[in-house]
Amino acid sequence: MLEGCPGSKTMDLREKEGQEDTASVKVISQLRQWPIQMHLISPMAPYFQGADVVLVADCVAYAHGNFHNDYLKGKAIGIACPKLDSEQEIYIEKIKGWIEDAKINTLTVLIMQVPCCSGLVKLAQEAAQSANRKVPIKYIVLSLQGEILQEEWL
Amino acid sequence: MEMEGYINKNIKDIISQYPEIGSILNEYDIACVSCNVGTCLLKDVVEVHNLTYEAEHELMKRMAKVIFPGNEVKIPKVKRKIGPAAGQIKYSPPVRKLVDEHAFIKKLLAAIPHILESLNVAKVEDRQLIIDSVDFIRSYADKYHHAKEEEILFKKFGEGIEIIKAMLDEHDIGRGHVKAVLEAVEAGDNQAIKERLTAYCELLKDHIKKEDEILYPWMDKNLTVFQVGELFNQFNEVDKGFEAASRKYEGFAKALEERFNRASQKIFCP
Repeated sequence: MLEGCPGSKTMDLREKEGQEDTASVKVISQLRQWPIQMHLISPMAPYFQGADVVLVADCVAYAHGNFHNDYLKGKAIGIACPKLDSEQEIYIEKIKGWIEDAKINTLTVLIMQVPCCSGLVKLAQEAAQSANRKVPIKYIVLSLQGEILQEEWL
Repeated sequence: MEMEGYINKNIKDIISQYPEIGSILNEYDIACVSCNVGTCLLKDVVEVHNLTYEAEHELMKRMAKVIFPGNEVKIPKVKRKIGPAAGQIKYSPPVRKLVDEHAFIKKLLAAIPHILESLNVAKVEDRQLIIDSVDFIRSYADKYHHAKEEEILFKKFGEGIEIIKAMLDEHDIGRGHVKAVLEAVEAGDNQAIKERLTAYCELLKDHIKKEDEILYPWMDKNLTVFQVGELFNQFNEVDKGFEAASRKYEGFAKALEERFNRASQKIFCP
């Protein structure tokens, strides 16, 4: 078992097996755009114009079982990993582009509870501080089992 | 025995049936007895006051003892939307702006007793201070701040909601007091000025407390992310048109605060 960084510590979550909803329901994807990775997106793409945007840590959609309906529906998205991605200064410029040029309505940052994930909120804050236009920014922290631990406006 | 059946009951009905519950709620700073609205359900009352889970459980237990004396009662947990930790209030950015405006209005309210202390409206300086204070109330508190609530925020919830109707009524009562103050200034009636401005002060203090601690947190929990962004933009538009004026009025409120703080220090400090 690896110790040390909580972000990479081995956790066995199989105890949840048996608690799953066994009803087989086809969940329709709420994704309305491509691409979604922050290095690949263009902040000026039409689906970002005036949108409510979610900036999501890569692991979130796997942890939260109903991610599409709860957070993606009706929103535009960018995904990133604040721990592993390189050249994150580009992300700051792109978020600033969302705020200033695409004139997004709101930005919601979804992260995991592991400490390194908070870097994504810091990126969003840095971009917002350097932007001339202001938008409401919310952050949501999810547990490793996908439960909402914290939800607050900055 | 279960409390579940009472969770969806009107709090005023519960209090009229079990008056002791009103006193218990008062102990938790939940003023349902004196509230003139009275349409909240018990579950709403518990939810909007954002008690800690321990306090909520204790409150429900005490109410259950009144409703089912001598019986073991299962205490339900009131479902809450995820938000800030219980006991804390964190507003969305547009609602926070309204709370910030309240801070300036409260500076004026805090100055009112000092203004009235030795009021003689026949004196030019006293008369002008009352007129300037009324100008602040009418322009900043009413035309700017209350208009943002009435024209924008409240419309997102519908003016038919009882608590919003109550807030609108209080705005109107406040306008009545202010009109009467101006009439009393014209008539040179010191007593009427004191009475009406004091009444305005008491009304607004209570009104702001209700909005900051109950109405706004409840609204924030129920606004969608889209609505928060929309509200933010709509408020910004109003703010742009009122930028110079808001600086002037906020400066006036700050100056009053400094003036009367200094005066208080002179009186009370050695």
